[in-house]
Amino acid sequence: MDDTFDVTLRTAVYRHFATTGQSPTLDAMREAVGATSEQVRDGYRRLYAKRMLLPAGDFASIRMAPPFSGVPTQHRATVNAAEYFANCAWDAFGVVAALGGTGSVLSRCEQTLEPLVLHLTPDGPPSSGWRFHCVVPASKWWNDIVFT
Amino acid sequence: MLFFRSEEALNDWCTALQQPRRPTATLPQLWQMAMAWYSNRLSPQAHRPDASEIRQIFARIGLTDTFWDPQADRF
Repeated sequence: MDDTFDVTLRTAVYRHFATTGQSPTLDAMREAVGATSEQVRDGYRRLYAKRMLLPAGDFASIRMAPPFSGVPTQHRATVNAAEYFANCAWDAFGVVAALGGTGSVLSRCEQTLEPLVLHLTPDGPPSSGWRFHCVVPASKWWNDIVFT
Repeated sequence: MLFFRSEEALNDWCTALQQPRRPTATLPQLWQMAMAWYSNRLSPQAHRPDASEIRQIFARIGLTDTFWDPQADRF
């Protein structure tokens, strides 16, 4: 399999998330790209090496296709009435960015649990006292991307 | 990667959970990060920024602390 296959697979995964808000099954991707299950699994491994997605442990689904999350999280986005889970605070904004730049984000302050509800446009959010924070430095983000 | 209502709320959280206090980004800065990383993510031409591109993105946004350097060995 070559780069063309990986691009086709990656694009199919992302379009599935964008269309459904959920992780694709292995069968759905096998049918989408016309490949065997093992070829899809191998493609997932290569795309993980390129930091484009994180397969679930059994490779039957996708845990992360940043900014999309294959599992429910506290970080949600709504675009064109469709709802999505994001992997983190950054990715909540990222879902809106990936889907055209207009949408809403629902999350929370991790300390006070106060809800964060924002409507985003391509101009971005208004200034406020809210802050984004990550305990893991950029050089180590993919050492444990789920923790990050 | 989390949201906090204020710097004070973040400080309280770091103290309570004994987590390191790192540099923060404002929400407008976070939006620029999201656009730089993800605005073309559904395109076949999409790619994750390499280290040089990441440095340029963060510098353009005003995030210049070593914390944001993808190849820093300080941490």
